[in-house]
Amino acid sequence: MFRDRLQREFDARKQGNPRYSLRAFAAFLETDHSTLSQVLKGLRRAPVRQLRAWCRKLNIQPEEITIYLAAEHVPDAITAERQSQLLHWSAEAMAIVSAPVHWHIVRLSRDRGFHPDCRWLAAQTGVTVDEVNLALTRLLRLGLIDGQWKDRTGRPPVDEAAFRKLALARVQEKAAEDHIKFTPKGNL
Amino acid sequence: MNHPVMQFQIISKSPEETARFYGSLFGWRIDSDNPMGYRRIDTGSAEGIHGGIWPAPPQAPNFVQLFMAVDDVGASVAQAVELGAKVLIPATKLPEGDEMAVLHDPQGMPFAVWRRPNA
Repeated sequence: MFRDRLQREFDARKQGNPRYSLRAFAAFLETDHSTLSQVLKGLRRAPVRQLRAWCRKLNIQPEEITIYLAAEHVPDAITAERQSQLLHWSAEAMAIVSAPVHWHIVRLSRDRGFHPDCRWLAAQTGVTVDEVNLALTRLLRLGLIDGQWKDRTGRPPVDEAAFRKLALARVQEKAAEDHIKFTPKGNL
Repeated sequence: MNHPVMQFQIISKSPEETARFYGSLFGWRIDSDNPMGYRRIDTGSAEGIHGGIWPAPPQAPNFVQLFMAVDDVGASVAQAVELGAKVLIPATKLPEGDEMAVLHDPQGMPFAVWRRPNA
């Protein structure tokens, strides 16, 4: 946002004087031309302290400066997308760990008396139909049950602890497809 | 076969509140007496399409997705993937005999392909 404003200022000056250089613009702003060049190319953001100083040099009104300062705190599109994926995959992992209904659906799906009926599953697992439906969709997304709602965790049948481990490994695999990596140090 | 939009689905963090809101606002009949406990919306009109409400996981935003009719869910999913879509929920049989899959289109917008029971 501020970069566009800066670029318009530079373009206007160049229009008035075709020999007007980036160095001249940097000198006017009292900054080095490599920083300015990187900001204009979008390779880095204008440092907040410098943003204020540059705005004053360019005679930008305080109300407008406030908008640019606020915008600097908004993550760029790539960061926002990554944060959203991070939130999604850590929430998926959290749900698997904290809601035993996932395990119970898989366990029940192995039984002959299994009913592919969410109301029946809710009664069996002691949660609401909405919670069953959320867990069911998550299990389908992670490939832990198949399109017929049958256990796909492999043979021999896993117990609860092994299911949880497998489910978390599946979350990590799916997250890796979005270039999100969970590491033992807690970095993502 | 043509591929009409068969229904809309509201994905809501608070499905019950959403049902109450739209039911009160538009007089839609919303009924969850089916094996999925799915809140089916009958708008009460012969015009337009009907819909449903599905719970959203806590990390997801509220949104609306469309269900397009297909005669072969698996084949449609394969074709969509070839065109750049990503499978979110693979082809799944539902208790009443219909089948569906949910995908992200290449721009990341979710949509579903759906085959009616005995279609």
